[in-house]
Amino acid sequence: MKQSKELDQIQDQMRPGVITYQGFLGNDTRKLRDIIESDDEAVKRLGLTHRKIARRLREFREAGKKGLSIPVKVEDAYEVRSDSARGKLPCPFMHAGLFAKAYTIVRCLETEGEIIFTDLNIHLIEEHGFYGGRGSAYRLDPERLASELKVRI
Amino acid sequence: MTAFLIALAVTSAVTTILAVLMVIADAYINDYGEVTITVNDDKKFTVEGGSSLLSTLKEQEVFIPSACGGRGSCGLCKVKVVEGGGDVLPTEEPWLTDEEKKDSVRLSCQLKVRSDMRLQIAEELLNVKQFTATVASLRDLTYDIKEVILALDEPGSIEFKAGQFIQLEVPEYELTDEPVYRAYSIASPPSQHNRIEMEIRYVPNGICTTYVHKHLKEGDKVTINGPYGEFHLKDTDKEMICIAGGSGMAPIKAILLDMVEKGSKRKVQYFFGARAVKDLFLLDEMKALESKLSGFKFIPALSEPDAEDKWEGDTGLITEVVARHVPDASTMEAYLCGSPFMIDACVKVLKEKGMPEEDIFYDKFA
Amino acid sequence: MSEFGTYFSIFFAAVFTNNILLTNYLGMCSFLGASREIKTASGLGTAVVFVMAITSALNWLVYNYLLLPFGLEYLRFIIFIVVIAAFVQLAEMIIERVSQRLYHALGIFLPLITVNCAILGVSLFMVIRSYGFWQSFAYGAGSGVGWALAILAMAGIRQKMAKSKIPRGLEGAGIALIIAGIMALAFIGFNGMIS
Repeated sequence: MKQSKELDQIQDQMRPGVITYQGFLGNDTRKLRDIIESDDEAVKRLGLTHRKIARRLREFREAGKKGLSIPVKVEDAYEVRSDSARGKLPCPFMHAGLFAKAYTIVRCLETEGEIIFTDLNIHLIEEHGFYGGRGSAYRLDPERLASELKVRI
Repeated sequence: MTAFLIALAVTSAVTTILAVLMVIADAYINDYGEVTITVNDDKKFTVEGGSSLLSTLKEQEVFIPSACGGRGSCGLCKVKVVEGGGDVLPTEEPWLTDEEKKDSVRLSCQLKVRSDMRLQIAEELLNVKQFTATVASLRDLTYDIKEVILALDEPGSIEFKAGQFIQLEVPEYELTDEPVYRAYSIASPPSQHNRIEMEIRYVPNGICTTYVHKHLKEGDKVTINGPYGEFHLKDTDKEMICIAGGSGMAPIKAILLDMVEKGSKRKVQYFFGARAVKDLFLLDEMKALESKLSGFKFIPALSEPDAEDKWEGDTGLITEVVARHVPDASTMEAYLCGSPFMIDACVKVLKEKGMPEEDIFYDKFA
Repeated sequence: MSEFGTYFSIFFAAVFTNNILLTNYLGMCSFLGASREIKTASGLGTAVVFVMAITSALNWLVYNYLLLPFGLEYLRFIIFIVVIAAFVQLAEMIIERVSQRLYHALGIFLPLITVNCAILGVSLFMVIRSYGFWQSFAYGAGSGVGWALAILAMAGIRQKMAKSKIPRGLEGAGIALIIAGIMALAFIGFNGMIS
């Protein structure tokens, strides 16, 4: 589906190497607008909102911070490490948003799965409903987030 | 046949004439000629107008920090343009506060040099230079931290203070069409003018760290610029507390090595927080420092040592360990390097132990 | 009618009764796209007047002194577009030099003037109506002014409407087209003015 020139420029910002190494789109060939719409529907189907998911991610981030860059056990079911790298990342949606490179790695002890997200990811989900393109190693799939991180309805 | 040729000739002639006209017009209209840029009412540069202020200054070897290569998406390249800047552009608006606008602060990557200008740039930025260097060695310190040593080529030596950082340029080799810069602290002492040591920790999906960990090889040529930063040792005799884990060790190491060379007699306690033994590194160097620097003690603290570590040192969160070792911090100085929340937590503890806020210095990875 | 009178009536007709946009429905896309703000609309409108007036004059010269003598009238579509494209490039360079603010505000719409069918339409109409040189110039300038007038009026209305509640399905292009339709109806009222 055609999308506005603005979204095209934003999609350009999401290519590999512009803001992050792999970019935000993986091998997804869909237009940005379609990616956001389909994730929007997925979130609705789960009975959740972008805000709720972002809030849950923030909870993990705060819990991880307490470890002071060293992994901590959270809720007896997760191991969380929060750390920072020097510098800031701009939001690909090209409004004046700069985000500290604070990343959180959540390891679900039950499934041994690892979910990695940055402050920028939390912002992308909360304000733009953007979870990453399919096939991207750093995609935060709403269904996976909801089940593994037990996002409350 | 002739009709076809005539048609072809006329069309080609018209298109060519118009194209030539456009080229001439472009050269004439977009030729801003030579302009003079005056910095701090002192240095004068005569430059060709027409490019952005950021790239024009870069050509004159004045490096304004930028993380997005001039795209207008990082807001770091702010410069005070006292005269000659023209109107504020819509692409600059989101990045400038009302106060900055009143102060004539502009986003130098968006503003084009069209006429004489007067700028005000911080002195430290004027000392920043660009260097080409060769990768002299790469060594794994832990499973996710690499030690990178660069030998400077051109210019061959760098002047900096222990505690400062440089920006490493990720080349355009495959991904971007404009260079990307990332900042890393210098881990070697200032006396070593011709080499730069860095400790680079892998960041998931990080542009530069992935490049360093997966692609950089010994012998590769890189470009860096610097030095930057206001984190450095204060010239006092106060006892020191250093707290830094992971790649935060870099500036602390530079400071400690510098102290050895200057024969400092100050007492230093360096608290290094990690999870288990496998996260510790450069233990030999730290031990060597303990013998070279009379007042220095290295105190590693593990929060969750593995059983096979048979750890007999301090355990617990770094904040707890610091609290245990330092009953009264009112006459000491602290130097912290790491993530903002680690630093915030440590600052809290130090203040509780009586350390005055103005004696706490930090390099926040922010 | 005196010579001057002819030019005046052609100009006036082009602005009101024969408005290239509201009567002939040419030049709609940038009309809908750049009419949200009066500032952008007036900038674009001025650029269009400039481009339309001069390209219609230029194209008249090219048509009458280059195409006709060689019997190449059929090439007019290509040649007119090439002349328009070159001229818009020139206009872009001038605007960028003179007012960077306007240049950025117009953004993509400036080069889009090239494919604004109204501009090509004016050149083609002038050929169909066999206008003389100054008549073509008057027609081009008039059409430009008419287009600018329409876009300014539209921008004014849309700016006022910015705070109103509009049914979701009609937001943006939907309501703009309805307004354009109503404006076109109003302009029909000018028909009796000029014979």
